[in-house]
Amino acid sequence: MGAITNALSQELYVFTEPASNMPSKSIGVRITNEGIFNNPGFVNRTMPEVMIGFNKNLMVHGQAFLSDMDGKYRLEGGSFYAKYRFLSRDDVQSHFRAAAFGRISTSRRPTYTRDINLEGDNSGVQGGLIFTQLLHKLALSAALGYAHAFENNDRQIVGLPAPKNMLSYSLSSGYLVLPVVYKNYKQPNFNVYLELLGKTDPASGQSYLDLAPALQMVLNSKTRIDLGYRFQATGNMGDRYNKNMYLIRAEFNFFNVIK
Amino acid sequence: MKTIKILSILMLLFAVKVSAQQISTADLQVTGLTCSMCSNATEQSLKTLDFISSIKADLNKNIFVLTFKKDANVNFDLIRKKVQDAGFSVGGLTANFNFNQLKTDDNGQAIVDGNTYRFINAKNKTLNGTVKANVIDKNFISGSAYKKQSTLIASDAYASGTGVVNGKKVRIYHLSIS
Repeated sequence: MGAITNALSQELYVFTEPASNMPSKSIGVRITNEGIFNNPGFVNRTMPEVMIGFNKNLMVHGQAFLSDMDGKYRLEGGSFYAKYRFLSRDDVQSHFRAAAFGRISTSRRPTYTRDINLEGDNSGVQGGLIFTQLLHKLALSAALGYAHAFENNDRQIVGLPAPKNMLSYSLSSGYLVLPVVYKNYKQPNFNVYLELLGKTDPASGQSYLDLAPALQMVLNSKTRIDLGYRFQATGNMGDRYNKNMYLIRAEFNFFNVIK
Repeated sequence: MKTIKILSILMLLFAVKVSAQQISTADLQVTGLTCSMCSNATEQSLKTLDFISSIKADLNKNIFVLTFKKDANVNFDLIRKKVQDAGFSVGGLTANFNFNQLKTDDNGQAIVDGNTYRFINAKNKTLNGTVKANVIDKNFISGSAYKKQSTLIASDAYASGTGVVNGKKVRIYHLSIS
């Protein structure tokens, strides 16, 4: 086989999805909690999520959203996400992948901000592309998406914004910190991430760019714990919900469970 | 009469044993892996193949040492498929074959237990005993390595991975003895 350089890198991004898919015939279960520090006080959103790898190129996610953003903690909506990997160039030391994704979401929340968020705040559809490049222990990923929010007339509050479309873009980096040398599957992995998350409302021209650092631990090569924080670096979009937000997540993977 | 019967059965068993040309183990290099979770997913995927008896992973080099069951029909394409199912690619597959006076023709081709092999560096040769060989077909080596081999080998069988043997279209594995 000759000398082979390690290709151990991290693209299990915390705030975005990589172009790579989960393994075929596998199921992943996630529970995510978002804690939001503004508007007007501290609010919480919980997102249970199920992910299924149908084949090597197609995977789907189903999510539910629960929060206390409008008073009592309640179920506020759900989302269906599908991702199709259409390009894969694997090499010993690197890989390049590209995927297309689509999302359809529902939410019973009124719209308070131009910041269309299909993970809880708005009903709508989204489509986009993701490109992920792995270079040794570093993984870089770029995503571009376009979202359209559905009409919200029955819940619309007079005087509040009614955004229609939103352009989203992100640049994510991940780095494997530990272990330096692998011994077995039981060894915990530590990864660090830094993501840039941006959105632009084409109608108003308002936009923002968030910085989102995160830490991740992978246990027994199947369980993932994420801890992240996002904050606005620059922007002029008002009344955003996820402007100052922490995220904590546990993900459990079940490989080859679908016959 | 009984002894002859037993003897003939024994001889038959012996004959089967001699003619069985097994693949004992293989080193599988998987590319595109990003973490031990990915290696674990690949191993779980490979475990579903019934002709594999054990898998030993080198997580640093992303090499899986596969040990095959005795007399099992090892299918390289299924190994490749399971790696791809997990989301990755095969970067190399080196198998340990046990040949018994296997003669290759002008093209390096020989048929073993229904599998057609073409040895690119053993034409008109007799192969005997343990032979270590790399599968060099498409999606068993890197894309760039395959392109390079394609210009060197320049055959339809290498381009398609198939060929006609005794009037039937069959899978042809291209092997390079290491």
